[in-house]
Amino acid sequence: MNVSISTSPGFGGDLLRSLEYLQFKTRSHNAAAASDYIGSTLAEQQKYVLYREMFPMEWLRSQASFYRRGHFRSYSERSNELFKLVDERCFPLLEQYYDDPEADLDNFAIAPMNADLCCCGEVDHEYLRISYAIGLIFIYPAEAWAFLDDRFGLDESEFPSINERMHESVGRIEDSIYNDLICLVDHSTGNPWLDSTYCHGCDWYKWSKETIEELTVEFRSANMFFERIAGLDSLIEANPRQILTDLISFWNTGEPLNPDIASEDKENERQ
Amino acid sequence: MSNKSSIEILTDETEQVNPTILLAEEFMRRDMADVLSTEDIERTEEIIYLGHREIDAIKKQLAAFDRTPASASSDIPTGF
Repeated sequence: MNVSISTSPGFGGDLLRSLEYLQFKTRSHNAAAASDYIGSTLAEQQKYVLYREMFPMEWLRSQASFYRRGHFRSYSERSNELFKLVDERCFPLLEQYYDDPEADLDNFAIAPMNADLCCCGEVDHEYLRISYAIGLIFIYPAEAWAFLDDRFGLDESEFPSINERMHESVGRIEDSIYNDLICLVDHSTGNPWLDSTYCHGCDWYKWSKETIEELTVEFRSANMFFERIAGLDSLIEANPRQILTDLISFWNTGEPLNPDIASEDKENERQ
Repeated sequence: MSNKSSIEILTDETEQVNPTILLAEEFMRRDMADVLSTEDIERTEEIIYLGHREIDAIKKQLAAFDRTPASASSDIPTGF
């Protein structure tokens, strides 16, 4: 049996020493943990900058600490205060997060406001506003016509046939309540509050002044959108046959049969 | 190809302590009520980028070692 005690490290020894060196670098210095710490500190600081920019008076008056305290445990008391201010004064932010005190709010999602219809196709017409239910004749015609027959005694055979695709101008016509309705049902309004659903992956937003201000404006716009649609509800209740005929004409041609109704509605809106 | 051994290549690198560690220590010492200026935030973002780059480089080196094919040693281990 040969017995040899090596004195030189050789390739194997060199390799082991190198691995040990690298493991020391990653373990002992723990740069990854330091990086995570800096990242979370920076995220908090960016929220403080936003807080000061958007709510300067509240920032000056605030007694909230800069340490982790408050409903959302991953954030400082001051950041928790910012979340509440945005929720109260800009748009509903916390409703969907409140049940989870451990929620990660470094990026946030918004709660869809137009969630009655989604890709699941399960729509309960009884709970829809009447204009929305009528708008569904372009998406789920069988169920929508059954509902209209039941509610208003309207039969599909009494109306013009509906083109498979809407007219090319529909979706881009301004100041038209019919255009608004079709875009709402189609989730193509361009407003994130109205176009998102719970079925699709949500968009994630960052804490920047531009984002908060834009979402605030869009939230107000979405509420005004629903107010306009509410105006159509009363018109439908008063004359469902005429409005439905107009709406089908609009879908097929881009023009309602009776433009007066739309203009009357616009006038009501202005008032 | 360099004649240097792997440990020589590693120790010859002009590496320092990962900058995120230094900044983390700086952050830990500072008063949290002192809000970072825009310049501070930009510097922090740059250091996070540099720190991640170094971490990734080390991970790649480790992975490269893992992929290194076995080669016969000139030394005979004790017992053989």
